[in-house]
Amino acid sequence: MIELLYASLPIIAFVLFSLLTIPIFKIINKMKSRKNILLKLFWFLTIFIVSSVTVANLALKYYAEPSPKPFLNLSLTVGPSAIFSSTFLVDAVSVYMAIIFTGVSTVTVIYSLFFIDTDNELSGRYYAVILMIIGCVVGTALAGDFLTLFIFWEATAAGSSFLMLYQKTAKSIHATIKYLVMIIIASAFIIYGLSVIYAITGTLNFWEVKHALTALADKRLLEIAFVFIAAGYSIEAAIVPFHMWLPDAYTAAPTPSSAFLSALVDQASYYVLLRVLIYILTPPTVLPWTLLFAVLSALTMIVGNLLALTERDVKRLIAYICIADVGYNLVAITSVTPLGIMGNLYFFLTGGITTALAFMTVGVFNSMGIKNLEDFSGVGRKMPFTSLALVLAAFSFAGVPAFAGFMAKYLVFTSAIEANMGWLAVVGVLTSVIQAAYLLRLINYMYAKKPKEEGRIKEPKKLLIPIFILAVTIVILGVYPSIILNLIEPVIQQFQLMP
Amino acid sequence: MQNTLLLTIILPAAATLFVYFLGKKSSKSAALLIVLICLANITLLSTTVPTILKAADHKYVESYYWIPVLHASFTLFVDGISLSMAIITLILILAAAIFSINYMHEKKGLAEYYALLTLLSIGLVGVFMTSNLMLFYFCWELMLLPSYFIIGGWGYREPYRAAFKFFIFTHAGAIFVLLGIGAIFMVTGDLDMFQAKTALMTANPELVKWILLSLTIGFAVKMAAVPVHMWLPDAHSEAPAPMSALLSGVIISAGAYAILRVSLGTVFPAVMATGFGSMFLHGLTVFGIITAFFGGLIALVETDIKRIIAYSSIAHMGYVLFGLSLFPFQEPVTGTVLHLMNHAVSKGLFFLSAGAVMKQLEIRDIREMGGLSGKMPVTATASTVAALSIAGIPPFACFISEFLIFVGAFQTINIDNFYLIPTALMLVATVLSLAYALRFLSHVFLGVTKHEKVTDPPYFMKTAMIILAVLTVALGVWPTFFTQLISSASFV
Repeated sequence: MIELLYASLPIIAFVLFSLLTIPIFKIINKMKSRKNILLKLFWFLTIFIVSSVTVANLALKYYAEPSPKPFLNLSLTVGPSAIFSSTFLVDAVSVYMAIIFTGVSTVTVIYSLFFIDTDNELSGRYYAVILMIIGCVVGTALAGDFLTLFIFWEATAAGSSFLMLYQKTAKSIHATIKYLVMIIIASAFIIYGLSVIYAITGTLNFWEVKHALTALADKRLLEIAFVFIAAGYSIEAAIVPFHMWLPDAYTAAPTPSSAFLSALVDQASYYVLLRVLIYILTPPTVLPWTLLFAVLSALTMIVGNLLALTERDVKRLIAYICIADVGYNLVAITSVTPLGIMGNLYFFLTGGITTALAFMTVGVFNSMGIKNLEDFSGVGRKMPFTSLALVLAAFSFAGVPAFAGFMAKYLVFTSAIEANMGWLAVVGVLTSVIQAAYLLRLINYMYAKKPKEEGRIKEPKKLLIPIFILAVTIVILGVYPSIILNLIEPVIQQFQLMP
Repeated sequence: MQNTLLLTIILPAAATLFVYFLGKKSSKSAALLIVLICLANITLLSTTVPTILKAADHKYVESYYWIPVLHASFTLFVDGISLSMAIITLILILAAAIFSINYMHEKKGLAEYYALLTLLSIGLVGVFMTSNLMLFYFCWELMLLPSYFIIGGWGYREPYRAAFKFFIFTHAGAIFVLLGIGAIFMVTGDLDMFQAKTALMTANPELVKWILLSLTIGFAVKMAAVPVHMWLPDAHSEAPAPMSALLSGVIISAGAYAILRVSLGTVFPAVMATGFGSMFLHGLTVFGIITAFFGGLIALVETDIKRIIAYSSIAHMGYVLFGLSLFPFQEPVTGTVLHLMNHAVSKGLFFLSAGAVMKQLEIRDIREMGGLSGKMPVTATASTVAALSIAGIPPFACFISEFLIFVGAFQTINIDNFYLIPTALMLVATVLSLAYALRFLSHVFLGVTKHEKVTDPPYFMKTAMIILAVLTVALGVWPTFFTQLISSASFV
């Protein structure tokens, strides 16, 4: 029972702190001192130190145990009714996800704290919602049955819609409605699929569902359930042809939250796909779904990159790269190999960091009124540090070595070759050349074109701190990826151990 | 010493920031710091020569912990071929840095320029010195990034356009290399070239065929073989002259070296005995001839001073491809590697002297030049040495290596008479190179002078040219040291 507490502590911590944030902010704002921002920073650092300790505690406890089982299944209730109970699942994947979610969210929240828009400072409510979402995302990673996963994941989506709505402009309301409609359709699909799964197997617990499905004789109902669940989660991960909501939603949100959404919620949606498709729902031995998703992944890579190629608004361009990234993640998921899972998990971190870095730097540019490609003319000399960070992000996206994105792409493509899908690897390779092309076009505008007005623009120094934390991380991970790959290694061993 | 090779990588890596901050104060001292680093690295590398010549497998290897999950260790090694290429690379970087002191001095942002040059030297030297494919790929792309920014930032006319073309072409090529490396890892479970070579012997030959093709296409882009040469004339002619010297001297040679080391050295033995093996080599021959003729013919009609030299680089990569296609005989392999070195030095010298002419005259069309030999004696001598070496005239460097390649070709004809016509055609191509070299000299340096007030370039530019000119003659007169080193490395 005590382990249940360990698993739920990070979630409880985030939710509790989220509720405390509004009153604390009220108190801090009343003090009207100039050091307001330092106090707020101190508050967030406390939150993240406490929650990191809880996550680290979970990880240490998990790895200290010489458990022959690859995972721990922690039910809220024991006894005969445990089968209906909400469950937490602790295995190497979920521990890893909890670690990177906590780490990445720290940087993005610090960024939003320093990002003071010209019109309005972000309120206490905004931070409360963000902390709540982090709690839910960690909950998603630790969920052990379909219902718990569903609840945490839909809570994440609901919270995200608050972030998109935050600016309350016509554009953001439009984007939020689009997002909500898509998400509600998706959850309806998922719920329908889950009810069918429950009807077949009599449980929603991940491992029991898996065992029941492997022994299933009549697969007709399972096919229906699979289509609904897969479609639902595909919509939430913005796989082409269900991608239309993503660019609007991410660009409508205030800049700090687009970084946050892409770094956390987006990566969590891939995690859900990975967990549901590979680990739980249907190993390809039960239903041959890999080809379907391979085609979808090729489509996603092509469409995402082509849309980015034609886009002139840089923030939307980054949003399209997020879509293309779904495609690259799917390549690894469809390969269903240990190497692919390793690539996925590494991609969740590097993709998250890189998109977050890109959104952060573009956010700084946007706040100076630099929005379209043409506006970026000559900013390389006017704002050297911010531009340098954006260039690093661009090379990481393009998969150039010595930057974090390279190793992720290498693992992804190699896993496709391992799964005998060389054609998918070739499509991926060709689309990443397109990716390099439009990113270089951006760099070309930044450094080669003459600016409209000469003179340096003053760069916001505080914002450069979180930006350069991420930029340095990208370079360090690029040169020495073993830091993360050693963390992922147990996952591979567990995957091979799995029944 | 224990960590000689690691030091040669760490030294420039650690120096990059120093160079940057020193460059903020005085760009000249930054350049001299680079010269010092190159000299130190050359000394470090030459300490391994006795080991290489004495050791049973003629190798010197160091290995460090890096990414054990992927079987990628930080393996640095040199054998005769790697060592010769690395030393020539360092000499060229040294000359480029010295040349830059005068050549670049009125440009802006020189601190960044020299820092990028230092970064570039890591990739350039590293690519020759590793046997781990992952590390190899890292260095391979590390050549690309700084050169992109150097061409874009300090080039001529529309530099970022040329740099973009360069980046996209070679990056696309590199990504095919990556596919090949990934496939090798999949098939053999190892990323070390020498381990993979043995493991590939037992692999499915159908798959090995695709790996070989994918790798070779990727490397050929860097090498600028026709029909994937389109990036080269723009990149080489728009880059600042020291960068052109490095591009033409080292970067495209790295492509040829990679074909020799990875495609032919690692993957090819697995399919050598099959029909595909000889088909592959014959394919290399055909592309070599096309490349040599294409480059030579266009160099004959170009009028832009740097584009002539750029196209002559394409032509020479044709010889190299032809030499590679004679694999695995000892003479042509030695000849090809020696030609890579000699071509690097001569072409580096050629680009530097063309840069000197451009800098002093501020025009680039050779029809508007003429009679400069009296006004710029040092530059004229350097150009003549370079041009005659490129044309393959004794006693200059390229003659020996071309000769070795042709000796190899005649040996190969005895076994495979497919090579009869290609060898004849390649001999014709050497006449082409003599033609464009003489045309260049007569247009630029001979005839009636149209520019009265021209003088030789300043001190440092002259020094750089003299260093390379002396080396070109020295390599031509006494190639024994390097031929010994190169032929100590065995491939068969």
